[in-house]
Amino acid sequence: MLLVSFLFFVLTPIVVRGIGAYVFKGTVEYRRMMFDQFGRGDEEKLKLEIAASVAYRKPVYDAISAFEKELAEMPRARRKELKPIFKSVREEVAGLLGPAPGQPLPALTRRLYGQTRWNRAKVRRERVLFEESWDYSDKNSDGKKVLIPRRPIFEGTALVPLFDCVEYNLLQMMNPHTTFYGRFLTDKSIDAHFFGGIGPEVLGTIYLALGAMLIAVPLGVVAAIYFQEYAREGFVMTFLRSCVNTLAGVPSIVFGLFGLAFFINTIKVSNGKSVLAGALTLALLVLPTVIRASEEAISAVPRTYKEGALALGAGQWRTILTVILPAALPGILTGVVISMGRAAGETAPIIFTAAVSVGKMVGPLSMWSNPTPALSWNLYNICTEHEAVEEIRHVQYGMALTLVALVLALNLTAILIRARVSRRLKG
Amino acid sequence: MNDCNNVITLSSRDQMVRRLLSLLGRGVLFCITSVAALSVLAIIYFIAKDAFPFFQQVGLKEFFLAKSWYPTGEPAKFGAAAIFMGSFLITAAAVTISVPPGVFAAFCMSDILPFNVRQILKPVIEMLAAIPSVAYGFFALVVLAPLLQNHGGAVLAAVWWSLALPLLLMGSYVAGDLLTPERLSRTAALILSSLGTLVFAALSLWLLRSVGALLHGLEIASGVNALNASIILGVMALPTIVSVSEDALQAAGRELREGSYALGATRAETLVKVVLPASISGIFSAVLLGTMRALGETMVVWMASGNAAQIPDPWYNLLEPVRTLTATIAGDMGEADQMTGSAHYHVLFAMGLSLLIFSFSCNLIGEWIVNRQRKRLRGE
Repeated sequence: MLLVSFLFFVLTPIVVRGIGAYVFKGTVEYRRMMFDQFGRGDEEKLKLEIAASVAYRKPVYDAISAFEKELAEMPRARRKELKPIFKSVREEVAGLLGPAPGQPLPALTRRLYGQTRWNRAKVRRERVLFEESWDYSDKNSDGKKVLIPRRPIFEGTALVPLFDCVEYNLLQMMNPHTTFYGRFLTDKSIDAHFFGGIGPEVLGTIYLALGAMLIAVPLGVVAAIYFQEYAREGFVMTFLRSCVNTLAGVPSIVFGLFGLAFFINTIKVSNGKSVLAGALTLALLVLPTVIRASEEAISAVPRTYKEGALALGAGQWRTILTVILPAALPGILTGVVISMGRAAGETAPIIFTAAVSVGKMVGPLSMWSNPTPALSWNLYNICTEHEAVEEIRHVQYGMALTLVALVLALNLTAILIRARVSRRLKG
Repeated sequence: MNDCNNVITLSSRDQMVRRLLSLLGRGVLFCITSVAALSVLAIIYFIAKDAFPFFQQVGLKEFFLAKSWYPTGEPAKFGAAAIFMGSFLITAAAVTISVPPGVFAAFCMSDILPFNVRQILKPVIEMLAAIPSVAYGFFALVVLAPLLQNHGGAVLAAVWWSLALPLLLMGSYVAGDLLTPERLSRTAALILSSLGTLVFAALSLWLLRSVGALLHGLEIASGVNALNASIILGVMALPTIVSVSEDALQAAGRELREGSYALGATRAETLVKVVLPASISGIFSAVLLGTMRALGETMVVWMASGNAAQIPDPWYNLLEPVRTLTATIAGDMGEADQMTGSAHYHVLFAMGLSLLIFSFSCNLIGEWIVNRQRKRLRGE
């Protein structure tokens, strides 16, 4: 029960809010951004929609320009008091609705558009309407956050219609629709994940996991065959076996250190970080799992199969290749799929060997010598080192969901294969 | 006829070629296997090689005993005592959190729950183990940390109740059963054991309430602290502990249990006096494996432990941020000069070496205990 509740407790927020990255209420700003950046959407419809929202936004900008004129004629003390607040109101409005008409366009892509998501737009609205401040009157605890409404400050000036308009007409200004953004999975990110999807990360993770398996599976399966079919018990075998066991206990970060010291600095598989170095490191990490799973699968093949093949005159090689391996294949596959999930989810080994935080899509040909973004590393990166962590929560959750779903899907596949195998063995 | 002969008895030359080929094949297989197995030696060699210059330049004494960690300062200081302490603290706390429920769950799965439930629980455990560590770290940072910061006491009390209530109730039942003297009539034994259970249940409820109230009163200044990381590490170590100790309990065998029942022992007596001693070494190695998992984990501690290289005050205070070996390696390698190899670069390898040595000794101890137990069970 406890275990189930743990799983539930951890997965629920990731799944629920992760879906928010794919399905959400997109505003008119979202559709404008999609059209500008990706060329998607119907131009005619979009123009009509923008025109409608501009009509609703006009009172806001009217209030701002009227207040600017009023401000110039105010007594000096009053002007000094109101000017900084007015400035921050104007900034928040720009953050909510995008750059004001007639203003020069900002350089950063993230400033070109207002809030693209309705829930963020509502948060931004609060920041237009209220001023945040901290109350330190209680000496015993830390300061408490208090929200001061801005409207009373501007009572009697020309700015008042702005607050009414933002408070009640935001829906018409932003025109949110439920949107399904399936290409979140494959789109490139724009301006450090403010817009766009997680395509490069997904691709990088797939490269790394597949590359690691490409290296680990032949090695691991051969080692398992040797251990099971050829090895005679003795000092050498005991030693090799305990080496494999020890490899399984090495902390993942130490694999990363080794990858850096050996693959990159000593034998120089590439100039700096690369997918190849990362895949090699990950292959070492999953090797013990692959060896163990394959050994178990091979030893589960009934002895009679092998004896029958040998009795029919097949040599040892032929027995292994045509009888034992096919019979053990589902079991080996289970181990391989589980290890692939592990390789896809690991972060520590690829920090020094393969991962970069900002990267382009890497093509399949140049991938071996280039570093790549990867889901696991970039999830860490955008939720700790990003400059606007709060604003891109949906991308973080989306990335976490994608990674967890990928890994769990692989594991479920493994569980299903195993269930089928055990049913077949029972007959 | 001639043909047939040829197939069955090969000429001596053919035989030689065949033997040579198979020997060659075996040799190739052996080489590949050795490469796979001996890579662990390569890991040790290359980590040690890059750690060695640090010990030459700075020395062991400062590394293990000094508390000031200013690797980029002028002059640089490499006292890692606080970092070792952080690793120790978080690992110890995680193991403390995860061992009782883990072993309890293993008992449930092997001896108490029906077979069908076990079939469902196995995939759940596998899924818990499969969730990537960075996803756990993300959960710790984005969900658990604000929760702890805003409703710390209530969350802790809820966790305590949900963890300790089943454990203590079960424990009081077992204790009541065990303390009942033997050679009583059935009704007397039943009455006595239920009385004992009630007494222990009352005691444990009192314990639950008082500790719960204590936890409820806590206020946590920052959600990113040693406690947060320990809780998540505990959850991550749980699948290892459960599955390995369940294997150990299963390995104790049916005969042992049936023999115990045949001698008139109750279920609780069988579990505690027969099955537990027979599988204690397996449970111990499960705990060791869980420890290794918690100690070697990087992303969760990097994201959730606060990363302050200081010894908490007092040293067991879990509510303060700490910094661990793994997080230091992961976090500092970006700043350290990777090409020419500064002392900062080499100190991180020294930390990696310490981690390696620790996990090796855990491995060795575990293997030794399991071997000894195996011999004892065989009756030598």
